[in-house]
Amino acid sequence: MAIEPKLSHTAAMILQTIHAGQIYGFSVMEATGLPSGTVYPAMRRLERDGLIVSKWEQQSIADAEQRPLRKYYKLTRTGVATLEVMHKRYPLLEKLIPSREVKNA
Amino acid sequence: MKLSLLLHSLPVSLFILRCAALLAPGRERAEWLAEWRAELWHVRDSCHARSCFHGNEAVTAFCLGAFQDAFWLRWNNPRTMPRHVCRIGSPSRCALSLAAWTAASLLICLCLPGARRAILPSPYPHADDLVMISRGGYSGAQSPTIRLQDYQSWKTSAQHLFTGVAFYQPIRKRVHIARNQFAELSIGRASDNLFELLNLPVPTEDRSNREYTARLILSQAAWRSLWGGDPRIVGHVVRVAGQRALIVGVVSQSSWQLPGHMDAWMLEDEQHLDALSSSSRGFVLAHTRTSGSMAQLDGWRYMTVRREDGANDHFDCISLAQRAQLPSSIFLFTLILAFLSLPATTPLPLGEYPRHSGRLPRATSARRWIFLSLKFSLVVLLVHFTSLDVAYGVQAVSFTTAQCIQLAISFFGFLFAFRWILQDQRRRCPVCLRLLSNPARVGQASQNFLAWNGTELICAGGHGLLHIPELPTSWFSTQRWLYLDPSWSGLFSDVYIAPAGLV
Repeated sequence: MAIEPKLSHTAAMILQTIHAGQIYGFSVMEATGLPSGTVYPAMRRLERDGLIVSKWEQQSIADAEQRPLRKYYKLTRTGVATLEVMHKRYPLLEKLIPSREVKNA
Repeated sequence: MKLSLLLHSLPVSLFILRCAALLAPGRERAEWLAEWRAELWHVRDSCHARSCFHGNEAVTAFCLGAFQDAFWLRWNNPRTMPRHVCRIGSPSRCALSLAAWTAASLLICLCLPGARRAILPSPYPHADDLVMISRGGYSGAQSPTIRLQDYQSWKTSAQHLFTGVAFYQPIRKRVHIARNQFAELSIGRASDNLFELLNLPVPTEDRSNREYTARLILSQAAWRSLWGGDPRIVGHVVRVAGQRALIVGVVSQSSWQLPGHMDAWMLEDEQHLDALSSSSRGFVLAHTRTSGSMAQLDGWRYMTVRREDGANDHFDCISLAQRAQLPSSIFLFTLILAFLSLPATTPLPLGEYPRHSGRLPRATSARRWIFLSLKFSLVVLLVHFTSLDVAYGVQAVSFTTAQCIQLAISFFGFLFAFRWILQDQRRRCPVCLRLLSNPARVGQASQNFLAWNGTELICAGGHGLLHIPELPTSWFSTQRWLYLDPSWSGLFSDVYIAPAGLV
């Protein structure tokens, strides 16, 4: 019997937001309307549980755009599988934050 | 408006992030700060692009969220303390709980005047030579036992034993504080030399002015409550039960450690004391001569006085130093007694732990014994302070009753606490010192002579198993510990404990 992952609605929403293409902290905040004090710890928890991974972008990209180096997040395989389970538990999740093509970091 | 702009400026935002970074674990701090600074850049950029009015406030709110993030990292970091300490059954939690209880009992001890007196040293200089004389067998009595006529006779007849003798008698009297204002106070009617004998500094006054008949010394509590702490009160004359008394000073409550709670002391000359009934009773203090010929046994002195009718009166003379040391003596006595009685209540061995010298670091083995010693130390202090709180915190009981209460609480407290310490130590993993969990029944009682049966406990960190026999037998008399090798570690998810143990 498969063990169903336990995620709060907020965590599931953040997971869905990252899957929808909002791949850094501030964009997740904007998409969900959640404050920074909720979003960043939740993302750390998701990363600790192996549902998302983070990666610093290349220095050359940041230099070209004259901005600081940024950290991007993306879903792991486990994260994708968990999100599918979450869609069953929270059916409105997909309608709330519709998926789209993920921009490559 | 300018202040608002300043508060929401970039330097302030960066300062907030740096402050929050202090909460983050050291190893991750630089990366964490870099991420937040990068995000801040984007937040500010977004707000400025929109030119929203509340943009600056949003930036500050964003920065304040960094504290929650940093705290989460700190709390969930396996290398940092808080989460590790707060785990149920962890040695840190046990030690911290004991330390907190000890600190609380010490605090209560310092707050209660009676208990505070019991732990602090005697405030009287040369307390070894100062004795409190009481009728034989009544040394701990809180009520006066010496007749005034005895005191008067010792002043002259016992000069070979004492260099000075003082008398005081607790009474309650109405004191005229101000116009139409009276208060009933507990007053120690005393001989003129009481405070000189105790070596307590009391201001002297011009005795040529004899419009008053007594000197009054106030306690700090009475001075504050009745005279509002007014320093000009010294030199005023008040009426104590119709008698004029000059206020000469104030002494702190901690200076008085003798029987009787006093709001004030009225020092009278011998003529006025002689006017009292010869059968009225009081307390008598004396300063002994070092070469005195008084009978002495274990620091206690006894005095026998032959009466005119040929009978003998026996008196106890306990030095004030001895009196102050009584709680400490009871503490030591009960501590030793509890250690001697302990084997009768619980077996002393902690169990069989196989030698593991090749793989178990020496520091890990030492940690176990340090933890045991720490528990003993904290528990001894906790029981001692608690016994003082209960015994001497209640002012209503006599000194003798208080000693009995201290004796009982100390002894039974030590006994049960030591028993608990040993039981607790036996239920802990020798490697990580956490309490063992998941008890499981093993074997059948009917097969006691064929195989062992009892309870098996497991360390959540995967360091080993503890086998406790149901019935001690010749081949399995006490609990046994079984170390698990690192190949078992995959079965245990307790990643925070594993590094502490087997290498």
